[in-house]
Amino acid sequence: MAAVLPAVVEQLLSEMAAAVQENARLKFLFGSSATQALDLVDRQSITLISSPSGRHAYQVLGSSGKTYTCLASCHYCSCPAFAFSVLRKSDSILCKHLLAVYLSQVMRTCQQLSVSDKQLTDILLMEKKQEA
Amino acid sequence: MAETLRRVLTRDGAAWSGEENTPVAGPPLLLLGAPGSGKTTLLFAAALEAAGEGQGPVLFLTRRPLQSLPRGTGTTRDPMRLQKIRFQYPPSTRELFRLLCSAHEAPGPAPSLLLLDGLEEYLAEDPEPQEAAYLIALLLDTAAHFSHRLGPGRDCGLMVALQTKEEADSGDVLLLALLQRYFPAQCWLQPDAPGPGEHGLRACLEPGGLGPRTEWWVTFRSDGEMMIAPWPTQAGDPSSGKGSSSGGQP
Repeated sequence: MAAVLPAVVEQLLSEMAAAVQENARLKFLFGSSATQALDLVDRQSITLISSPSGRHAYQVLGSSGKTYTCLASCHYCSCPAFAFSVLRKSDSILCKHLLAVYLSQVMRTCQQLSVSDKQLTDILLMEKKQEA
Repeated sequence: MAETLRRVLTRDGAAWSGEENTPVAGPPLLLLGAPGSGKTTLLFAAALEAAGEGQGPVLFLTRRPLQSLPRGTGTTRDPMRLQKIRFQYPPSTRELFRLLCSAHEAPGPAPSLLLLDGLEEYLAEDPEPQEAAYLIALLLDTAAHFSHRLGPGRDCGLMVALQTKEEADSGDVLLLALLQRYFPAQCWLQPDAPGPGEHGLRACLEPGGLGPRTEWWVTFRSDGEMMIAPWPTQAGDPSSGKGSSSGGQP
């Protein structure tokens, strides 16, 4: 029995080390977005919105309190950073909201929300109106 | 999507009629060319080709009805195929957004190919890059939703035609870079002539990914029929086609 506890601790420590390494890798790839995205995941800010049709989209509650829409099928986020750093400057490959969506998919930590087909249309269209 | 267009351009018609397995839709394709370079004709030929593949209907979006059906590229203009092409004419960018955002509410079988002619007309109304990106992302999302409805192993392809200007300004360069981000496959129609005294277009198909680039020589007969032949340099030596990417492609 005495030998079991150190083994468990060792296992836990090595898992933590792997997690820290993963974290470092994320930061290396995505810079400061990685920390911010993990923070969004921690705060459960990502909602997967689906309708009976099978179509779905993501909404991310940003740190400023604004909600952004990310499309599930292709790389798109409605935030200004995506428009500027990704589309205009090509400095980044994605914004923190998209990274948070991808991370939450892997970690299965999305909030789920079912809406009607009509409501999903309005959510997608609203994005357009906000920009205008 | 490049595969459907390749078939249209390669045009060994009979070999493809129906018995093929369900083709893979492949990445979204952007068709680029100057005014009058035959984009609509090619798009329409691709619609007919896809309608003949024994799949779902084809959805053809364009701002206004075609004046006359393009003379085609030799594709059989079988009425059965024509019936499977559903035309819709969103009159404004706003209406196009509405159509794409509500695509999942539309009843009936999901299309196996989504086509949009004249993207530049919709973008002209609101040339903000983010607006353009959202429109394009919604086109991809709509095609992805149709693929989902078609079920496993079947995909809805996406093909979009954009008119290019002779002299691109910085805004156009930005827009093109944005489009290339979302459309891995491209087909360029450029004025060119393989020999003196000949006038026509060079069609370059870049299927995206690791696929080889292929080129064709496109001319229009006086009756409007589109004539397509392999690009002459390829005829003698098939291996030279892959390396001939120095052809002044932007």
